[in-house]
Amino acid sequence: MTGVQPEPSVLTAVEAPPLLEVRGLKKSLGNKQVVDGIDLSCHAGEVIGLLGPNGAGKTTSLRMCYGFLRPDAGSIRIAGHDLVTDGDKARRALGVCTQDDTFDSDFTVRGNLEQTARYYRPAIEGLSARIDALLKQFGLSEFANQKPGTLSGGYKRRLMIARAVVHRPKVVFLDEPTTGLDPHARMGVWELVSQLRTDGMAVVLTTHYMDEAERLSDRLILLQAGKVRASGTTRELLGDVVGEHVVVLPSASPGAARVEAWLRVRGIPPATVLADWHFALDAAGLALFVSAFPELRYEVRPPTLDDLFLALSHEEPS
Amino acid sequence: MNFTVFRPALDWQSRAVLGRHLRVHLRNWHTAALPPVFEPLVLLLAFGVGLGRQINDLKWAGASVDYLSYLAPGILGYTAFMTAFFQSLFSAYMRMHFQKSWEGQLTTQIRLEHVIWGELLWAATLATFYALIVCLVLMGFGIADALTLHWAWLPIAIPLLFLAALAFSAVGLLFTALLPSIDHMGLPFFLVILPVGFSSSTYFPLPEVPWLKAIVQFNPLHQLTEGLRYLLLAGQPTSHLAAAAGLSALILLILLPIDLRLLRKRVFGDA
Repeated sequence: MTGVQPEPSVLTAVEAPPLLEVRGLKKSLGNKQVVDGIDLSCHAGEVIGLLGPNGAGKTTSLRMCYGFLRPDAGSIRIAGHDLVTDGDKARRALGVCTQDDTFDSDFTVRGNLEQTARYYRPAIEGLSARIDALLKQFGLSEFANQKPGTLSGGYKRRLMIARAVVHRPKVVFLDEPTTGLDPHARMGVWELVSQLRTDGMAVVLTTHYMDEAERLSDRLILLQAGKVRASGTTRELLGDVVGEHVVVLPSASPGAARVEAWLRVRGIPPATVLADWHFALDAAGLALFVSAFPELRYEVRPPTLDDLFLALSHEEPS
Repeated sequence: MNFTVFRPALDWQSRAVLGRHLRVHLRNWHTAALPPVFEPLVLLLAFGVGLGRQINDLKWAGASVDYLSYLAPGILGYTAFMTAFFQSLFSAYMRMHFQKSWEGQLTTQIRLEHVIWGELLWAATLATFYALIVCLVLMGFGIADALTLHWAWLPIAIPLLFLAALAFSAVGLLFTALLPSIDHMGLPFFLVILPVGFSSSTYFPLPEVPWLKAIVQFNPLHQLTEGLRYLLLAGQPTSHLAAAAGLSALILLILLPIDLRLLRKRVFGDA
């Protein structure tokens, strides 16, 4: 024996093998290559946000990860189990909250959790206590004997997430879990997602709400045209893809034509939002801009994930 | 022939889906039990007793039988056919398209083949159960001295009813996979239920037309009802029973791989 091997219990989340490991995922639907060689990984206690404009391949990637679609190439491992060759064990270790409400409307809230538990083997130990705990954790206790159709949108989503974790999965996929919810209900779901992370689950989240992605995710993965365009923390992603500063300039400014020419020379396409141009510059670029247009009035702000989307919409898919 | 589509029938996941349907049904047993009890009762009273009084005895298998006796075994087969077809068509379509309970199941350890087998097994189980309720109704007619059937042969009929119901539900699932919307739900009734039902000898003996007699040999419902009729009226197991079993098995062999492929395309958008 040379050297001391760390005990599994003292491995940090990053040292331990990822609970979700996706390599070289490819999928074409019809004649279109929808997913083109995507790699993903997610560790215990980590939330990754999968972002990208419509058609970037988010939903197709996710549907492959939870076994709805068969990949043309690549591998998906859930908690060490290959989804194709060891599908049963892989599926036992994953939980899914789909974008649509897919609870069973023939059962009550509690009945839904009980029935979902019956779709897993080995059977869930201490199921009744587990369901009681979930009903309490998700604020559903008072609705336990009601049909899900009677719940508000926020509570329906809570039930969907509770169903996804009733069997204590290791990896959880949340596909746009807050779409259509009011701000209060959204924040309730955020709390629950945060609890899943605390419980040590690996969580993969897709959302169109940039604030949600930024607040909930430890790491963001940006998809574009079926490929990973960039990944990292929000700041890293914004710096890599957008730039350090965003200039907001009214498009009707007196010097707008000169600014447009200045930007064109540097290959910077401005995004037009209502009557304003938004364009990103690094520190040196901003200094040049300030000196080139001392008479202009404009706003300089830090970039946001919304800028990231706008920047991507100007890029040609590779 | 790809037999791998039959293996999931025995998996625990298929039983879990079957258990789900059973649980929902039992919860509504008091309303769910009304149609299988009253439908044959109404049919037997209206057609068997009502219409039967207006017509002379029928000529069947070289013998003269009263209309109620002729009708009774037919209703048994027809109940299995309609229940299985309706469950796998309308009820399965509702669960797949509107309730989205299929999608909910598919996010677990249940795979599509289990969902399909769960639907098939449930449709066949319910159809067989409803057929047994029809038997009870028929026994009631027997107690009232209106009907004499050879009930000792019933144990032979039950597995055959189950097999035939499986086949009918595979036909129903084909339409579940193909129908573009619920507005097209009339199509399978027009294309399957009417022609199969009226060429099945359920309600009346088929005319002695050679081409028609040749065609109906391939109608599993005709073979089933005639087989049940010989069995329960005359106490004779005939080749009709074997033909019904063979045709049902053939339908399952052909349709199940097609159902699975079409439903995979429909549910996942992927062939």
